[in-house]
Amino acid sequence: MEEIKINRLETTKKIGPMINQYWEKLRQAPAQGKKTAWCAGPLLWMTKAMDMPTHEMPAYAAWAGGRHGAPELLEAAENDGFLPESCSYHRVHMGLLANVRDGVPIREDMQLPIPDIMFTAPLCPEMAHLADSVYRRFGVPVVSMHCPTPYREADIERHTDWMERELREVIVPALEEVCGRPFDNERLREVLIQLKEAALLRNECWEFFKLKPSPWTLWDYIVSMGPFVILAGEPGGVEYYKELKAELEQRVEQGIPALTQEKYRVYWDALCMYGWFGVIARKLASLGINAICGRYPWELFPRPWLIDTEGDPIRAMAELIGEIRRVYAGELYPQIVAELVEEYDIDGLIMFSFRTCKNWSMGQQDVVMEIERRYGIPGILLDADGIDPRYYSDAQIDTRFLALAEMMEGRKKLRQRD
Amino acid sequence: MEESLKELFNFSGDPYTHLAEWKEGSGKKVIGLTPMYLPEELIHAGGMLPVEMWSSNEPITVGHAHVTPYYCGLTRSIVDDLLKGKLDFIDGILTYETCIQARTIMLIVEKNCNIPFMESIFLPNQMTNPLTRPYLIESLEILKARLEEFAGHEITEESLRESIVIYNRNRGLMRKIYDLRRRRPGLINVKEMVPIVHSSMLMLKEDHNAALEKLVIDLEKRPHEIDGRPKVILVGSLCTAPSTEILKLFDDSGVVVVDDDLYTGSRYFVNDAVEDGDPIEALADRFLARNPPCATKVDSEMNWSDYIINMMNESGAQGIITLIQKNCPPHMCYSPDVMRKLSEANIPELVLEVEHEVVSLEQMRTRLQAFKETLGGV
Amino acid sequence: MVVAGVDVGSLYTKALILDSAQNVLSYEIIRSGFIYQEAASSCLDSALKKSGFNSHDIAYAVSTGYGRARVSSANEHISEISCHARAAKWLFPEVHMVVDIGGQDSKVIYVGDHGQVLNFVMNDKCAAGTGRFLEVMAEALSVDLNRMGDFSAQSRNVVEVSSQCTVFAESEVISLLTAGSNREDIIAAIHRSIIRRVMAMVGQLGKKERVTMTGGVTKNSGVLRELEKSLDTTLLISEEPQVAGALGAALIALSKAPNRNHLN
Repeated sequence: MEEIKINRLETTKKIGPMINQYWEKLRQAPAQGKKTAWCAGPLLWMTKAMDMPTHEMPAYAAWAGGRHGAPELLEAAENDGFLPESCSYHRVHMGLLANVRDGVPIREDMQLPIPDIMFTAPLCPEMAHLADSVYRRFGVPVVSMHCPTPYREADIERHTDWMERELREVIVPALEEVCGRPFDNERLREVLIQLKEAALLRNECWEFFKLKPSPWTLWDYIVSMGPFVILAGEPGGVEYYKELKAELEQRVEQGIPALTQEKYRVYWDALCMYGWFGVIARKLASLGINAICGRYPWELFPRPWLIDTEGDPIRAMAELIGEIRRVYAGELYPQIVAELVEEYDIDGLIMFSFRTCKNWSMGQQDVVMEIERRYGIPGILLDADGIDPRYYSDAQIDTRFLALAEMMEGRKKLRQRD
Repeated sequence: MEESLKELFNFSGDPYTHLAEWKEGSGKKVIGLTPMYLPEELIHAGGMLPVEMWSSNEPITVGHAHVTPYYCGLTRSIVDDLLKGKLDFIDGILTYETCIQARTIMLIVEKNCNIPFMESIFLPNQMTNPLTRPYLIESLEILKARLEEFAGHEITEESLRESIVIYNRNRGLMRKIYDLRRRRPGLINVKEMVPIVHSSMLMLKEDHNAALEKLVIDLEKRPHEIDGRPKVILVGSLCTAPSTEILKLFDDSGVVVVDDDLYTGSRYFVNDAVEDGDPIEALADRFLARNPPCATKVDSEMNWSDYIINMMNESGAQGIITLIQKNCPPHMCYSPDVMRKLSEANIPELVLEVEHEVVSLEQMRTRLQAFKETLGGV
Repeated sequence: MVVAGVDVGSLYTKALILDSAQNVLSYEIIRSGFIYQEAASSCLDSALKKSGFNSHDIAYAVSTGYGRARVSSANEHISEISCHARAAKWLFPEVHMVVDIGGQDSKVIYVGDHGQVLNFVMNDKCAAGTGRFLEVMAEALSVDLNRMGDFSAQSRNVVEVSSQCTVFAESEVISLLTAGSNREDIIAAIHRSIIRRVMAMVGQLGKKERVTMTGGVTKNSGVLRELEKSLDTTLLISEEPQVAGALGAALIALSKAPNRNHLN
């Protein structure tokens, strides 16, 4: 049987260097006399509006995982007393702090300067704890705002009103103080305009996922999230998506699919296994499985037409955060998965049960049961960590992927018979 | 064991039977709360019984089909109990995001159970933000409205104030008992003390108050000799009562516990709510208080290590035993810093990881013995 | 008159006889089996025989180890943490930290100037990082446990065994073998994996020189070398590290024996 291969996109190769360069710039910032900020949660667009070189908690951890820098950082954290059951993203940062405070050696390209200020709008309590640790260990001022997880969709509006107030009364004054100038609403508007334009193009690219076979994979999209997060406000974001869209159009014209043989299409739940990004993509590809969509990658404002670039940018910012929070709402979880399953004609679910990150994994089993009941498609749980190698077991993952492929094949045959 | 203590001990040991009986006898509704800081007084003022949900008395089985084993024991056990039908007498569940695990428990409950009242409210987890207080007050007002709807009547300011007074009385009585233990180490052992507090989380406060009044008298009558064992304080075990087997290990290990900063301990009653003024604000302020310092309330001014060092000194203890519930994210985020501070201050600390499924008692026994030898010599 | 120390471990039982002048007269090591009382008696009898004394001559006996409560002939039982600390100090007066890797647990013990325990960190929840882990791996690789050190000395390539769990590590090792890694490299990786666990414990309270290693795993030269490298130190090693617990128990027994000044 011929080995199934992934046809790599050209455009996505550009993102890696752009992101590496971003972190390098952040590392150099203090030497250039620039004040830096760390963010735990979706406030980096606010710091970018003030042109502050900024870090973002999951963005750093995912990048460190992808660059294979995580094991060293995690070991440093463990030697500092952090239990390995605790959030690996948090531990990666604690390793980073141990490097600064105690000189524990870590790879040079993983190092980051301690910021002048830390902002948090926690998407999970661990983000708030991270900020607290940065304050306790280094005295860095922490400016926090509440970013509650809605349970019901109806909660979102009330939360958004409060977030708007906190942005105005808490975040903006803190930014003005640390930067020594008034908050730049127009720069924020620019950032929002750019985000919206890139997101609208991105949504057009998402349309290509509906094709069978799809010309790109979920992994292609995930690496392309950069322009919305860490590369937001930087030049090149919109251009990137224009190029990506053009390449996808070209593929369709030339009949080039993402996988040389796409047998099954799956939904991937929760974050990604950043430490084994290529490995997982290849394992799935070898079975003819193309990952198409997921709740986490779809969190970044999936309805960009709602972004109000004409009105008050602070209000628009609050609404943007509320929109991001929507995929976290417990009440909506099964419905959001169902919508994606229908929209992209999904054959199976892979629920990544991120060992140390419970942000996304509560209720996964119930969702599998619900989707199975509604659509007759199978789902598996994958037990590993996104970046911590102590929880990674190659053999177990292979077994589960194979079992899923067999189940999807079995269902297909049943459907053909009927 | 005195009758007054037996009543509390039994209630704490088997909440299922006792709560079901109480409910039948009183005809009132029972609302289960996920720990640790939901405002019980508000439910009490609504004429219902608020109970802090507890860890089950058996290994998790069906629960694991809905929650994976690396969640804390309490989360798994609540789901397990619900699915096994052991909590059929519960009329409602109220939850908030104490930590990341409490978050979607409502989804599992809604999908699999038929409970009349299910709510998830917002309580802030970051304290150092000037808008925290008004945000919290609004949340409490919304909760009050939902409770009124379920209870079928208004919760007046007056009735809420009355509930606060009753709750404060309960806290005061427990403080009295703790004070007695501090003055007479060894008078009350840990296997007795934890159920005294834990039963308060399960019983109607008026009933618990009546029991405590009797108990205080009985305890004062107990004969007491000077206890020569090394003195320690217990800290932690957030959200869950340590199992009886473990408590017995402490009592048999050769040390004497003179005070504690346990969830089923002083954390439940160290601070009162203000009895005059707006009662909703009083409840909000009690939540926002820095006392006791809590890993679930991110607060840069909060200093847990100072708090327990102070407690240790005031009670005359020589060492600290910290219980970390396995897979408790907030505790795991703070314990390294606390350990470091204690180590820098040369304070002996024994950290024990405990879990729902009671295992490794022998290992724990060895560690406790070694710790006792560290404090008191061999 | 003599004193006795009995260390009833999960895998091995050790007994040691000491005289009043602190001379080690004899010791014995046997497999514990599952009836600790019997293991303790026969081990003690055997050690006594070697010493030339009999049970009536024992002025005081202290037991330690997991089976310590089952030793009926003991006057008292003391934790192995205290016993290891006492023995380490007696053997090496300059010692302040003991790394003990035993059959079913591993620990780091901080020792004061009088041989008292200042603090300790234990891993007793999980086999990875203990002698049991090595036994399982030796079996999986068809290597004699006593030769693991020699094998790892021949390692030329770095591979990683990173699983947290012994069972998963075993399947990881099998995967490595299938992928073509040789046993020398895998064993070296296993040794590194054990020491990583130890270093995590050391990291909590820091390294305090001088350092000694005790417990049966000390006989594995590969683990020993890896520990020295990670701690950047030269370890103080006694002649028979496996009886450290029994030695410490005997020393404590001596300090508590009645009329010890009149022991001959």
